[in-house]
Amino acid sequence: MITIPYKHKMAAHCESGSITSLLNNAGFDITEPMVFGISSGIFFGYFHKMKSFPFPTFIVRNKPGKMRENLTKRTGIKFHTYTFKDPEKGRQMLNRLLEQNIPTAAQVDFFYMDYIPSWERVHINVHFIVVVGVNTNHYLVSDSYFPKLVELKTESLNMARFAGGNMSPKGFLFHPESIPKEIDYEKAIIKGIKKACFNMLKIPIPFLGVKGIRLFAKKITEWPSLARDTEHLSHEIMKINILLEDQGTGGGGFRFMFASFLQQAAGMINKPELLDFSRKMMEIGDGWREFSLLAARFGKNRDLGPERMKELSERLMDRAQVEQQFFSQLYKTIK
Amino acid sequence: MTEILSAELKMEIKKLIMTTLNINDVNPADVDDELPLFGGGNKLTLDSVDALEIIMAIQRTYQVRIADQNLARYTLRSINSIAEFIETEKAKQHPETK
Repeated sequence: MITIPYKHKMAAHCESGSITSLLNNAGFDITEPMVFGISSGIFFGYFHKMKSFPFPTFIVRNKPGKMRENLTKRTGIKFHTYTFKDPEKGRQMLNRLLEQNIPTAAQVDFFYMDYIPSWERVHINVHFIVVVGVNTNHYLVSDSYFPKLVELKTESLNMARFAGGNMSPKGFLFHPESIPKEIDYEKAIIKGIKKACFNMLKIPIPFLGVKGIRLFAKKITEWPSLARDTEHLSHEIMKINILLEDQGTGGGGFRFMFASFLQQAAGMINKPELLDFSRKMMEIGDGWREFSLLAARFGKNRDLGPERMKELSERLMDRAQVEQQFFSQLYKTIK
Repeated sequence: MTEILSAELKMEIKKLIMTTLNINDVNPADVDDELPLFGGGNKLTLDSVDALEIIMAIQRTYQVRIADQNLARYTLRSINSIAEFIETEKAKQHPETK
C-alpha cells in the first residue's frame, strides 16, 4: 500500500489542472490560468470534414500535450515523459514511480473513471489525472474534475491508459523533473501572449484561429443537410454547449481562463494595460456563453429551422470579429 | 441578521430560477433548500441547459460570475449552495459590509 501525501485541488481543465497540481505539490507556486496563458492554450479550430470526426466539430484550445511542451520551452520547467507499447510495462513503471513517492500524471480515456457517475462518462482519450497511491485493487487518484482524492479500480486505470482509437493514450505518463530556481516571467508571459495572437490571427490555414470561427459561421448553415434527421441535428447543436462550457474549459470556451491569466500577468510583469484586455476577454467569454446557451436552447426545443441556423451563424461571425479585434490590439500592445 | 438575509436571498433565488425558466406551476415555498435541483427529488428538476440559463441569470442579477463549470456543478446543487456562493462572492466584493 502506497499513499503519497498530496494536496488535491479542483481545476477548470484536466491538463492545465494536472500540470498546475503537480507543480504546486512539488513546492512551486503557479496558478492554472498562468500555466494556460504562458503555454498559449487559447485557440480555435473548426473541422468540417475530417476522417476522424463523423460530423463537423471544433476545438477551443491547443493540441493536447502542447501546454506542457510550451510551458517547458518558455519557463525551463522540465517534465519526464513516458509512453509504452506494452501495457504490462506501463503498469510496472507507474507502480515503480509511486514506490519512489513520485506523483505521476496519466493520460486516460475518461470513460473508465469509475468514480464518476456512468451517465456523465464518455470516451475521450485525452483526460489527465494524477496518480498518488496504489494498493492491491485500487489506485489513489487526484482528478481535477472531482472534489476529493478518489480510488480507481486497477483494471479501470489499466483499460483507461491503453484504450484504443483516436489520440490513444499509449500509457502516457509525466511528472516534473526539474524546476529552475529563477524564471523570467516577463519573457515567458510575453512569448505566451504573442504566440496566442499568432495562433489566432496568422496561421495560414483557413480553418484555424479567427479564420476558423468565420468558417464555422459559414458552414453551420450546412449542418442540417449533413445530419441524419432532426434528432441528430439537435444532438450536434447541443454539443456546441458541451464543447464550450462543459468539457473543462473553465467556461466561455477557455476565454474566462485566458482573461484570468491576463489579469494575473498585468500585476506580475507590471503591465497595467493588460487589465483592460482581461476585462474585454471576460466580455468575449460572456459572448461565447450567450452563443452556447442559444445553441443549447435551439437544440433542446428542436427549433432548428433555417432562420435559427442563420442566427447562430451571425452570432459566430460576431465572435470572429471581436476576437480579430481583440488579438490584433493585444499583439500591438505586447510586441 | 445573516439568517434573515439568507432566507430572503433563498426566496429571491427560487423566484429568479422560476422566472428565468418560465416555470409557473411550482410554489417557490415548496422548493426544498437542501434537496438537489438536478436529477429529481425536489419540486424543481433542472437539466444542463437550465443550469446555464441560471448561471447567466445569477450573473446578471447579482454581478457574480460562475465561470468554471466544475464550480457550477457544485454551486448549483441546491438552493442553499447557490445562496452560500452569492453571499461569499458578495462579501469578497464588499468586505466592509460583512
